[in-house]
Amino acid sequence: MFRLASKAIEIASRHKADFGDIRIIEERRQSLSVRNGEIAGLTDQTTLGYGIRVLCGGAWGFASSSVMTPRAVADTTLKAIAIAKASRMLMNVRVRLAAEPAYTDFWQTPFIKDPFAVPVETKLDLLFKIDSLLRRDKKIRAAGSEMRFIRERQWHMTTDGSRIEQVLLSSGGSLSATAVENGESQTRAYPCTHGGQTLAGGWEIIEAMNMADHAERVREEAVALLTAPVCPAGTKDLVISGNQLALQIHESVGHASELDRVLGYEESYAGSSFATTEKLGKFRYGSPIVNLVADATLPGGLATAGYDDDAVKAQRWHIVRDGILSGYMTNREFCGRIGMDRSRGSCRADGYNNIPITRICNLSLMPGSTPPEQLIGEIKDGIVMENNMSWSIDQKRLNFQFGCEIGWLIKNGKRGKMVKNPTYQGITPEFWGSCDAIADHSQWRLWGVANCGKGQPGQTAMMCHGSSPARFRKVKIGMHG
Amino acid sequence: MKNIEDVCKKIFRLAGKVQCEVSAEMRDGALTRFADNVISQNVAYSSTEFSVRLLDAGRMVKINFNQSDDTALKHAVGSGLEILKKQKKDPALLPLAKPRPFEAARDLYFRETAELTPAYRAERAAELARACKKSSQTAYGTFENGSSELVIANNLGLFARHRETSAAYGVTVRDHDGFGWAEYPAFDAGEIPFRLLNETARAKAAASRSPREIKPGKYPVILEPQAAADLLCYLAVYGFGGQIYNEGRSFACGKLGKRVLSPLLTMEDNSLDGAAPGMPFDYEGQPRKRVTLIENGVLKAVVHDRKSAKAAKTASTGHALPQPSYLGPIPLNLAVKPGSGGLDDLIRGTERGILVTQFHYTNLLKPQTMEITGMTRNGTFMVENGKLAFPIKNMRFTQSMVEAFADVEGVSGQAAPILAWGIMSCPAMRLKNFNFSSSTKF
Repeated sequence: MFRLASKAIEIASRHKADFGDIRIIEERRQSLSVRNGEIAGLTDQTTLGYGIRVLCGGAWGFASSSVMTPRAVADTTLKAIAIAKASRMLMNVRVRLAAEPAYTDFWQTPFIKDPFAVPVETKLDLLFKIDSLLRRDKKIRAAGSEMRFIRERQWHMTTDGSRIEQVLLSSGGSLSATAVENGESQTRAYPCTHGGQTLAGGWEIIEAMNMADHAERVREEAVALLTAPVCPAGTKDLVISGNQLALQIHESVGHASELDRVLGYEESYAGSSFATTEKLGKFRYGSPIVNLVADATLPGGLATAGYDDDAVKAQRWHIVRDGILSGYMTNREFCGRIGMDRSRGSCRADGYNNIPITRICNLSLMPGSTPPEQLIGEIKDGIVMENNMSWSIDQKRLNFQFGCEIGWLIKNGKRGKMVKNPTYQGITPEFWGSCDAIADHSQWRLWGVANCGKGQPGQTAMMCHGSSPARFRKVKIGMHG
Repeated sequence: MKNIEDVCKKIFRLAGKVQCEVSAEMRDGALTRFADNVISQNVAYSSTEFSVRLLDAGRMVKINFNQSDDTALKHAVGSGLEILKKQKKDPALLPLAKPRPFEAARDLYFRETAELTPAYRAERAAELARACKKSSQTAYGTFENGSSELVIANNLGLFARHRETSAAYGVTVRDHDGFGWAEYPAFDAGEIPFRLLNETARAKAAASRSPREIKPGKYPVILEPQAAADLLCYLAVYGFGGQIYNEGRSFACGKLGKRVLSPLLTMEDNSLDGAAPGMPFDYEGQPRKRVTLIENGVLKAVVHDRKSAKAAKTASTGHALPQPSYLGPIPLNLAVKPGSGGLDDLIRGTERGILVTQFHYTNLLKPQTMEITGMTRNGTFMVENGKLAFPIKNMRFTQSMVEAFADVEGVSGQAAPILAWGIMSCPAMRLKNFNFSSSTKF
């Protein structure tokens, strides 16, 4: 593949490109799903193609193709160069990339069992077993379970001498049950919602989830939610667990710290960020116990790789340190704007046919020192919420509202009654500022986000957020129309 | 693609005696993105993707691939057949669809749109950026063009083909702390009113400078077409799809023939000759039908694919998504019937209310009441005594759409094309009550 890739590098160099790279991507995806006793999907997908990026005269051009011949690579490179020339018609200053050493390397996701080698019938047997457990109550009108596996093989070559081969592997699965009665419908899922849990690794990820062991509880909780009282509205102390805290991190810190957004380059679509660059190193993002760390070397992380799509080596760094805004997600183009001479390596593309853009890395809330029982034990009037159902945050990542699958009221230090449709609302720095306890390391889990959308044309990226359950004081709960 | 029929024939030959369906989609496109008055991204993409379903004795497998040389086809179909042998039987699996005639659709392919150059896109962006620079404003946006072709074929003799072009110009303008927005999607780029869109966004940004904070609460609300479409799309997708309806998860469940929304609302799905056209067949190759979903507020029908139609003991309306589909059929060519008058008339008839240009990050909280939350964006104004009184800071809403759209006070006479799940046509409208649940600082 590198021989084919070298054609693009040769042409970009011949046209005196400031920078050029080609990423050849071969991707295999397998997804299986069972819904209400039927196979709802069994898809095996293989794609192969390449994306070529050139920086000519200080302006970018990008073109992609799936025609795997030297002639097509040459034509696609020339197309990217022509696009770069058009970009020069509306530019202010030349784009300059931060320097990075040239690497020749191979990196792959560690795994124990190749998920593509596990027979389809083994996977379907497990999904049908889960499905039958989920449907053992007539009130369950929609039962679903699924698995998906992705292996992406990359050959990345740059005009500044890097030649990197990587194989990234992820595995994921989930189950859910929707109970319906008297016009009411309630859903419960395991391990989490929105496509379930995905982590970097092989079939061992599926085995570790023990999905079948959780099916009966999921079914029973979905049915119980039908008759549970609605989450009361008011100001209460909130304990967030499950994947909800992962999404809270994702939406209110992850996206807010993408430097391209901060600089206004996403204004026309997803918006910008309140976490502007003059706040770096000064702004109180959260309470002093809040430490949020980006880490492209994190074992199991979906954004973990040897190198990003700017050919920058994987790193670990603080976004929030002791409650203070301390860093951003960067690429080689924008990191110089905040005085950095090297990118953090947080630039990735979706497949072969998209240009690399600044992305959230694995971003985790560091565990605290509070024993788990003490999180709830110290609350007089509060609520525990688990698993995300809905999310919404404004275009500067300040005003958010999240809905969760399930809640349990806390009275005088004890978890009590189940409530349905719990929601909470807040303003990002005030909310993180109200965090007064984070459970200890024993509760820390990694949660995968496999469907993060960004950019125009739209791209999907995957990353992980690790957290232990955490406590937030005096949060607005249960706002409804 | 010229040789697509040949590729289909090769795939059918490799499939042998099992039922085989090919869905082939070819896309060529380009997008110029600008921010801070300069081009920030400029890309082109080209892809051909094949999706093949193999069915045999109640078993089914789907394989997707993008290489179509003989070796790749042999490997892809061969591996699909291997998986098929090990597949479990699904008693509910429908055999492939037989060919059915479908109406000729509107010609939605415009060569000039497919062939727009990066220089042309850059020049359109530059026109706005130049104007913005002169008045200390900042331009952000995209200009996209492309073409696509879809073929659905099976070895029962079905062969359906549709091609179309697309273009969309969308701009956001910042004027200090004011923002304005405008967008226009079209099949023919020649229809895009660039100058009008630029002026609209720039004027709105200027008018929304120094916004004031107002108290959250219930207000009458005037929704410009994009804002109204954003919300109505949820009602259609999560309310009027046959599978969701059959399973009792739709807010409209059991209400066929009954009033579910305001009598001022009429909504159809019509890809053939409606205001939001598209392909004349669905992803099962079945003819799309015109479906009146809501007529004067009364639920008249929901859309079906073959599977949901069978469960409901009715016929497919030609609204299948790629099979198998977790979501089931959904309406993709929505058109809301215009009323009378213009946006100005809706404003004139408002004693006190809020005008919303666009919503941001809307999401469904409760499917039964279609309770949705989201933020206002890019131009939100207080209306007093029939006039725009002053710009207001953005607010979050949390509102049941079933309740909100049960009390529509007026629908404007001009519908605008909107980019939704497909292209949607929607006019502005005024709703009597809309709950803004919190405010923000910008």
